[in-house]
Amino acid sequence: MEEFRNVIHSLDARVVQVRHLEADQHALVIDAPVIAESATPGSFVHLGVHAEPSMMRRPLSILWSDPERGTVEVLYKVVGKGTEELARVQEGETLPVLGPIGRGFQTEPDRDRPLLIGGGVGIPPILFLAREIKEHTVPLVVMGSEIPFPFASRPSTIRVPGIPDGVIAGMSLLEDWGVASRLCSTQGYAGCYDGYVDAAARMWLETQTPEQRARVAVFTCGPVPMLEAVARLAREFDVPCQVCMEEYMACAVGGCAGCTVPVLGKNGWTMKRVCVDGPVFDAQAVFPEGTQWPGPSPSA
Amino acid sequence: MPDKDPLSIDFSGLSLKTPLVLLSGCVGFGDEYTRVEGFSHDEIGAICLKGTTLEPRLGNRPHRLAETPDGLLNSIGLQNPGVDAVIRDVLPTLDFSATRFLANVSGATVEEYAEVTRRFDDSPIDGIEVNISCPNVKAGGMEFGNDPKMSAVVVDACRKATPKPLIIKMSPNQTDIRANTRACLEAGADAFAVINTVSGMAIDAESRSAVLGAKQGGLSGPAIKPIALLKVHEVYQETVAHGIPIIGQGGVVSTTDALEFLIAGASAVGIGTGLFYDPLACRSINGGIRDYLLRHDLGSVAELTGTLDFSDAQSSE
Repeated sequence: MEEFRNVIHSLDARVVQVRHLEADQHALVIDAPVIAESATPGSFVHLGVHAEPSMMRRPLSILWSDPERGTVEVLYKVVGKGTEELARVQEGETLPVLGPIGRGFQTEPDRDRPLLIGGGVGIPPILFLAREIKEHTVPLVVMGSEIPFPFASRPSTIRVPGIPDGVIAGMSLLEDWGVASRLCSTQGYAGCYDGYVDAAARMWLETQTPEQRARVAVFTCGPVPMLEAVARLAREFDVPCQVCMEEYMACAVGGCAGCTVPVLGKNGWTMKRVCVDGPVFDAQAVFPEGTQWPGPSPSA
Repeated sequence: MPDKDPLSIDFSGLSLKTPLVLLSGCVGFGDEYTRVEGFSHDEIGAICLKGTTLEPRLGNRPHRLAETPDGLLNSIGLQNPGVDAVIRDVLPTLDFSATRFLANVSGATVEEYAEVTRRFDDSPIDGIEVNISCPNVKAGGMEFGNDPKMSAVVVDACRKATPKPLIIKMSPNQTDIRANTRACLEAGADAFAVINTVSGMAIDAESRSAVLGAKQGGLSGPAIKPIALLKVHEVYQETVAHGIPIIGQGGVVSTTDALEFLIAGASAVGIGTGLFYDPLACRSINGGIRDYLLRHDLGSVAELTGTLDFSDAQSSE
């Protein structure tokens, strides 16, 4: 992937909407026109959790950007003190925000049957990508969660080859757009596939002819074990795959090298910054077959 | 002759536009923050580049960060492309007319410190910070910096490798920082950076494991400011008679923080973790210092250095 560098805006953004969802999931809409204008699926904002700087900012994937209204929406789950503080923020308050940050997903025009796979906290950029590419491609969106999905679902009317008959739960919004989707969970939610996203995606890929697979590209975001499984799946079916990574982050502008992940490049292993070298990377560079990062052991 | 800007300082022969120095390890190789709209090198006296070693280093395994109350633990482990790549690929991209750029030199042996310094000597770099206080590497770093004799050996070797300003980055994790300061002064130090991070650890109780991939790291941020202020004050007691300046650093996020370091004895003020809270902090801190100088009828920021007033300190007796 070529060098990427964009302008990151720093501003105090007013919170225009707060939604508290099931299982401590929350959505936040901020007024940030300059960020809304240039945000792309996979890019993120680095959001202060208070008006005053007293905690590190939190990197949050962008769920939607609305350039017309000048707003950006993020969706997150409370996982620690920072997100706990953020969940207390009320409409009308102002939060410091940096964004948009990072290289988003890169789509290829001739791969017009994209397979989008999102898991848990990795769902937002997948939905943003689905919205951006639905007009000129025929995406299939597979999403998994072990807590209630942070959006409305309904039985899908769009048939997905390979998916068992009873597996009909899809996301209502995607249905409205005519985008095929299927939900997965091992929690026994109605209509969901009882298993992981990579297993559901595999069932669809197996129905695709080599010619059809040549039009498939995989885009995924979620927990690392899921990303690794999806990368393996993509390798097996010989389709390109991009993964959107997450790591603890401090500066989010490429200064501190705190958020790096090992990436296998042409000249061997390098440490790439999730914030500005990513967060989207080629899946096979992050999870290459049969090779481990040779970096220092914990005692080094 | 135009009036001198009250914020400008002379630091070991380098004229700095403002007393603010961006700290090594927080701003990559100098140009990362310019992607933030509104960020300007005009606000900054000097930028200290990421710690550099003779050979490339991948650094430590993730996780490299853990947030703690009012602080941040890191264990980057001196990830860098090696001195030759820095000189060949990085330095030509930097605008030396906008601000001053300082190299930060590290090594596992005295010879490595000297060789990296020698290579930077033959480059456009404005000055060299000798990092004898990195807590995140197995060999060298803090191992040298916690021992005055070894510190002096490293400083002496680097001194012989360059006439450029040599700034010694001091560890707070040592018994007697004043004794070490004296040793480094005798070995030829031109300036001191006080302090590096404080050694620390974060533990995840549920998994009973260390949060950081390298198990331990260095603590920065507002939590360490009181430690840093004391260390600056202690080093200042040793340097003041020699006219040797200090970059005071550790938890600076506001104008008040910066003023406190100047009063404690610093000539310049380092900002690192503070940028993570607010990447545009330098502008407001400069403005705040300017206001303070006016309110206190001071003609320049240099007049503030070491003005800590002890006259009331014992008055409670």
